[in-house]
Amino acid sequence: MKAGSSMQKFVLRRLAETCIVLLGVTLVTFLMMHLAPGQPLQANPELRLDPTAVERWLQLRELDKPLAAQYLAWLSRVCTGNLGISLLHNRPVLDMIRERLPATLLLTGSSLMLGLGAALPLGVIAAAKEGKPADGIIDFISLCFISLPGFWLGMILIMVFSYQLKLLPAAGMVTPGESGMADLFKHMAMPVSVLAAGTFAYYVRYVRFAVLEILNQDFVRTAKAKGVPPALILCRHVLPNASIPLVTLVALSIPFLFTGASVTEYVFSWPGMGRWIITATLSRDYTVIMAVNLIIAVLVSLANLSADLLYLVFDPRVRLRE
Amino acid sequence: MVRKSGLLLLIFFLLALGAGCSKRPKTHLPDILRVASLSNPLTLNPLFIRDASTAEAASLLHPALIGFDRDNLLPQPRIISEWEVSNDGLIYLFTLREDVFWSDGMPLTAEDIAFTLRVICHRDYTGPLYMHMHKISGAVEYRERHDSPLADGSISGVRVIDGHSFEISLTEKFASFLTHMAISPLPFHLLGSVNAAALESHEYSRTVTVGLGPYLLNEWVQDSYLHLTANNKYFLGKPKIENLYLCIVPNQETQLIELLAGRLDLLPTSVKVEDIAKLRDDPTLAVYSHLRLAYDYLGFNMKKENSPLADKRVRQALAMTLDREEIVANLLLGFGQVAHGPLSPLQFAYNSELEGMPFNPDWAQSKILEAGFGEYELKLIYNAGNLVRENVALLFKERAAKIGVKIRITLLEWEAFLDALHKGDFDIIILGHGTGVDPDLTYYWHSKSPGNSLGYSNTEVDLLLEEGLQTGDLEERTQIYRHAEQLIVDDAPLIWLYYREAVHAATANLKYFTPHPVSLFYNVHEWSLVQ
Repeated sequence: MKAGSSMQKFVLRRLAETCIVLLGVTLVTFLMMHLAPGQPLQANPELRLDPTAVERWLQLRELDKPLAAQYLAWLSRVCTGNLGISLLHNRPVLDMIRERLPATLLLTGSSLMLGLGAALPLGVIAAAKEGKPADGIIDFISLCFISLPGFWLGMILIMVFSYQLKLLPAAGMVTPGESGMADLFKHMAMPVSVLAAGTFAYYVRYVRFAVLEILNQDFVRTAKAKGVPPALILCRHVLPNASIPLVTLVALSIPFLFTGASVTEYVFSWPGMGRWIITATLSRDYTVIMAVNLIIAVLVSLANLSADLLYLVFDPRVRLRE
Repeated sequence: MVRKSGLLLLIFFLLALGAGCSKRPKTHLPDILRVASLSNPLTLNPLFIRDASTAEAASLLHPALIGFDRDNLLPQPRIISEWEVSNDGLIYLFTLREDVFWSDGMPLTAEDIAFTLRVICHRDYTGPLYMHMHKISGAVEYRERHDSPLADGSISGVRVIDGHSFEISLTEKFASFLTHMAISPLPFHLLGSVNAAALESHEYSRTVTVGLGPYLLNEWVQDSYLHLTANNKYFLGKPKIENLYLCIVPNQETQLIELLAGRLDLLPTSVKVEDIAKLRDDPTLAVYSHLRLAYDYLGFNMKKENSPLADKRVRQALAMTLDREEIVANLLLGFGQVAHGPLSPLQFAYNSELEGMPFNPDWAQSKILEAGFGEYELKLIYNAGNLVRENVALLFKERAAKIGVKIRITLLEWEAFLDALHKGDFDIIILGHGTGVDPDLTYYWHSKSPGNSLGYSNTEVDLLLEEGLQTGDLEERTQIYRHAEQLIVDDAPLIWLYYREAVHAATANLKYFTPHPVSLFYNVHEWSLVQ
């Protein structure tokens, strides 16, 4: 009962803190966005746009009002669940997110699974074979992947697989006019590999370190001394303990599943959130920038909170302060 | 579990790779054409187009009322089959083709045109077209006094005579008016009851449920592609290619790779000059090019106070430092033409004998000394992502230094660049001017024009430009614009650099693709793919 109420208090306190953080994030985003030179629509002399029409456009969207009034209006809209309408596309931001999120989740989700799926066993192997050739090879691969910028790796893959070998498509998620899983997988192969390589390199070092740390603990040594088979030690004692720090890492990476990987999406013309965010930022689509930043902030806060809560569940050493 | 899923995915990828290995680049099916586009259109409503990609996509769905001759860009009948202009040049009588139908079977009528003009003149309309329509009698009154949110009522100068003819009267002579009638109409029966302010965000702008164009929108997967299907009611005949996909691939290199792999069939406008030679060697591809209706320039900010650029001699001297022939040959690899003045070689008034500022560094040096330039450092801005302009900036800096003029180059991303332009925060700018189809130079060169962002002002030029719109006689207009052009060039408000060519690459299987500088897709219904 007592534990339950302290847990409730903890969650409530964290939620209150989250609200303050969100307010701060939106305010800073709003100010930075307006400090950046330019505005969503400017008379472009190359295209002979009419400056008076541009003024009327800004007026109809209330962008000619003082910044404080604009921010408060935005805030009151968001409190009623309205994320606003994209200034450039004239469509509800939520609809635009809904159109792009599946593509992004497919890309980021599968690369996380692939990267993590490879990092877990290889990280354990590296730790178990510490100092041996297998450890060296895994270390070398992860070092390579972590040092290669995603856009560069992406471009190299495009050069080899799309330009030279003509095996894989360099752009998009589907071939227009063709359908089927094989086509989708062909489009996914390169961007997923690029992202998975980065994820793998990032996690494999953590896994190796976490497993090594546990392997050197007294209870493991005791188990070894008692003659417990190494595989059993690994499965029953080492892995459950080593997975605890990973929980935070994975939880914290969840928000980025939703926002996509801008650079990779851009390189592979992937129709997801990341590419859209870049375009919106470059074209000063204020409502989109605000909405996306708010969503990222909410997700990061929630992910932090759930990581903390998961710790409480998984790790008996962590207890709430009364 | 996680590991299993990862393995499963890996297996899928390997299988997919295997499937790819056994396949040669796609052969072109006769009924599918994949056209590249650099960005997702912002709208498909023809009255709200503000960028080139959107204009390209919209032109497949919405034909213009008027077409333009390929050789001199003079107006040609299209949906408007004929027109008559009264002797005083104030009244235009238009007749529409009778065989033009909306895709829902309703005929296109003069009511649709009148409605479209009312939308353009409505106070809540924020698109770019009103600028050219305010000379219609009653347009200004309609904009200021019509208080309904709907584009209803009437503009006094627009009179519907019958289903297929209408008359427009102007408040004053406006020789280029016909070219501004190259708008695309909206369906009155579908949108007549929509508020003018809501039209831009109306579902029609995304779905185009009813259209007049060669193609109809079947599906729009945002940021991915638009699937268009041939309109069998198109007034010039049903397009031969049944399916046209506009594939959104936001970078030129990837577009090229996809073209070479056979996954794209046409790259409109976006071929880089350095890639052309390679494409020409490929027998499976064809390369097309033509001059664009735009020139690039190095412009001088004449609005800035105490700027040495207020002195004509300094501007002339700077203009003489650049060898434009060299720029066209080395930076554009010959895919362009030196620009000497603001008239385009494609316009009827073009003066091929006009001599612009000569390339003469010695003369430039003496002019600078004469003007007493001093230690001033000029700030040159240009936008990121345009390699040719970047190279021009570097070349100019080097050449200006030789006559003792210091240049500080500032590279800006597009929005920041436009912001600096509007605030006048620059001395020299590298930008382009779209010339339009009519030789009317008012937009950039009349001292009172909103498009005159460099602050150019010459009373004699103002008078000539006003005069140029008062007569419909082509010979007379030619003389007026040539005279105005000469005066502008002598004032050296900017350095005309070049008219670039628009370069397109397509599969050699695509036949009858004959790009037009005004509209790439003007004859898309005639295109065909042969095996």
